[in-house]
Amino acid sequence: MADWEPRIVAFLCNWCSYGGADLAGVSRLQYPANIRIIRVPCSGRINPKFILAALRHGVDGVWVSGCHPGDCHYIEGNYYARRKFGLLKGLLEHMGIEPGRIQFSWISSAEATKFAETARTVVDRVKAIGPARHFIKRQAEVA
Amino acid sequence: MHAYTDKIREIARRLLSENRVDVVIGYRRGTVPFMNEPYLAKTPEQADRLHWDGFCGVNLANYLPRRTDRVGIVAKGCDSRNMVVQILENQIPRDHLYIIGAPCKGMLDRKKIAAELQGKEALTAEENDGKIQIQGKGFQVDLDRQAFLQENCAICIHRNPVIYDELAGDLVTEQMDVDRYADVRQVEAMTSEERWNHFDQLIHPCIRCYACRNACPQCYCPTCFVDESTPQWVGKTVDPTDTRTFHFLRAYHLAGRCTDCGACERACPVGIKVRQFTKKLEKDVLDLFGYEVGLSLEDRPPLDTFKPEDPESFIM
Amino acid sequence: MSEIFVDKDGLKKSIERLMEHCRVVGPVFRGQYHEFAQLKEVGELDLTYRNTRLSPKDLFHPHSDRMFTYTLAKDDPEAGILKEAPQDYSPRVVLGIRPCDARAFQLDDTNFVTEEFKDPWWVKRRESTTLVGLACNEPCGTCFCTTVGTGPFDEAGLDVLLVDVGDGYMARPVTEKGHRLLAEAGLTSPAPAEVKKKAEDLQKSAEQGLGKLFSVDAIAGQNSLELFNASFWDEVQFACINCGTCTFLCPTCWCFDIQDEVCGDKGDRLRLWDSCMFPLFTHHGSGHNPRSQKLQRVRQRFMHKLKYYQDKYHQGVACVGCGRCVQHCPVNIDIRQVAQLMSASCIC
Repeated sequence: MADWEPRIVAFLCNWCSYGGADLAGVSRLQYPANIRIIRVPCSGRINPKFILAALRHGVDGVWVSGCHPGDCHYIEGNYYARRKFGLLKGLLEHMGIEPGRIQFSWISSAEATKFAETARTVVDRVKAIGPARHFIKRQAEVA
Repeated sequence: MHAYTDKIREIARRLLSENRVDVVIGYRRGTVPFMNEPYLAKTPEQADRLHWDGFCGVNLANYLPRRTDRVGIVAKGCDSRNMVVQILENQIPRDHLYIIGAPCKGMLDRKKIAAELQGKEALTAEENDGKIQIQGKGFQVDLDRQAFLQENCAICIHRNPVIYDELAGDLVTEQMDVDRYADVRQVEAMTSEERWNHFDQLIHPCIRCYACRNACPQCYCPTCFVDESTPQWVGKTVDPTDTRTFHFLRAYHLAGRCTDCGACERACPVGIKVRQFTKKLEKDVLDLFGYEVGLSLEDRPPLDTFKPEDPESFIM
Repeated sequence: MSEIFVDKDGLKKSIERLMEHCRVVGPVFRGQYHEFAQLKEVGELDLTYRNTRLSPKDLFHPHSDRMFTYTLAKDDPEAGILKEAPQDYSPRVVLGIRPCDARAFQLDDTNFVTEEFKDPWWVKRRESTTLVGLACNEPCGTCFCTTVGTGPFDEAGLDVLLVDVGDGYMARPVTEKGHRLLAEAGLTSPAPAEVKKKAEDLQKSAEQGLGKLFSVDAIAGQNSLELFNASFWDEVQFACINCGTCTFLCPTCWCFDIQDEVCGDKGDRLRLWDSCMFPLFTHHGSGHNPRSQKLQRVRQRFMHKLKYYQDKYHQGVACVGCGRCVQHCPVNIDIRQVAQLMSASCIC
């Protein structure tokens, strides 16, 4: 347990948060290597099924990040996403997923420092909760 | 209740004989106690088979999507709200519908009644003056109708149809001071682990028959996520994780669309309280966006719109 | 026939004896309804039940059945080779099963056990199981077993028939397996004449209450094509919501789907219940679906049970009249009414 490192999937919007990650890299900013990035065109493109699929594959945390409200490349994609995510997080946690397992942020492509900081926060929070135990699809529990 | 039956028949006969509609969707008397069957009347003569009582729990809006003819349809408060959602989602045009509003005093819960009878079998059930008169072999009981309402009906605050073209009876008084979310708050008060176990117990009997999904007027996707195979989002066994995934996604697809009509819970052959999932969403939609589903043809559904100032306290 | 009498306490003791060396399955009340489950203690068994919500077909044909396991690990020489998944086929007694449900297994045998093919999972489970039936003294209002060729006291599918005669049970061994089981359970005292008489009276009164609701032979006599094209299907199908309740609760619906599930480098080949009510059931790889319409699917279910099965196997209909679909269809589609429509001489 002491040397356990969480695996975290990050869904990053192409135009802002992915740019932020890129800039963080180019700027040689350090952030934990627990993050596996999946680039999506917009936070509005993230189907809740993606998040669920990540959990079913056994990730310890999911981090979703898009453009700040008002800055969406597609004008309003993140506004729709925000409504979806609020309900999604609510229902997942209602069903017993620990708060902090799924996290959301807005990070612009200029905010490399914020990206690195947020990555650290995400990892710290997931580490505090511990390894994923629920919603993991393993060999079918049937007769 | 019997007055409704006569009135519904009269309206249906008139609509069909005057060629105002092509068909009328209502209920006919069931073949077993506590059940009525959805029925499609195509001629004025068939209209005389229509029936109404407290066992008309099936949500008739379920039979509307993809219909292209002019339909007369009996609608309780919840049915009409589901029709509003379907109209907003372009599943059926308003001008194809002639809605026969049926102000509702709540539908009866056959599972609750069966539990009360403790294994004794009812052979007939009639409603009279707020009582359900049940007869079986060697016994007769009168039950107080109010105590045997479907759970969603007991906490319903929209018993009158929201949209209608004609009424089958006088509008009823809406229930006030109803605590709609007591059960949701009960779960919210639990720890994560308790919640997980609570839902594990809840869905344990599931046999994946999809009655909850298919009874829902809002589940009309041409291909359900359950049947998608590239990728396959959810396995089809009764593995607890797959069953949980199914129930989670089914509920989530109804976020901002569910009217709590109770059709899902009513249909479940193994008695799972599947509304426990959708009610949380219903509560959150109300809390976060101030939206109640199916009350207005003007407002866009909550996930099809946004406000710049929407709550975002969950964002880091 | 050598009927045996055992009082209620005596039966409990015998069951405890059986539980020492084999698995005993019986109706237990769990949550909201009765279901068949392996007994942990004899007190769980409830022989006063009317019927289980789900049919006991799950005991022989589970909803999700692991057939094979395999590995896909690259360095494993056995990678990709299917291996039969281990299952418990030790001797098992199913106690208190209703005669209609037991008869259903015989009907299912026509599918799983043929001259050419013998389904190993089904066969092994059938062979390792002794069926001890419980006669229905009081059939439900939705039962129509006598109409479809079985009955509340039908022994056809059983090894032993138990009849509740009030202060105890009359046990009638039907097969060699049944004789052996009664001996193993230490049940030997012959039933007195008045017990046999009581059982006979119970049988008569149970059968009388059921009557005959439609004629199976009349359906057999109908022209398939005319039935297929009959106009009543339109009315029958309207209410259907295409859920799997009727087929999943039915003791004679045996259809299944086979799926592979891979988790890491381990795989399972699973057999799952499937239903002709689901559009996906007949969906071809090409995209074509021969039963894309609800009417076609509803018609298929009734035609298969009541007409095609009769025509193909000449041993009655594939329905035992348990009434589960009638009780639990969420929209009240009633097979008894459909059968009446199908058997009526004029189907126009």
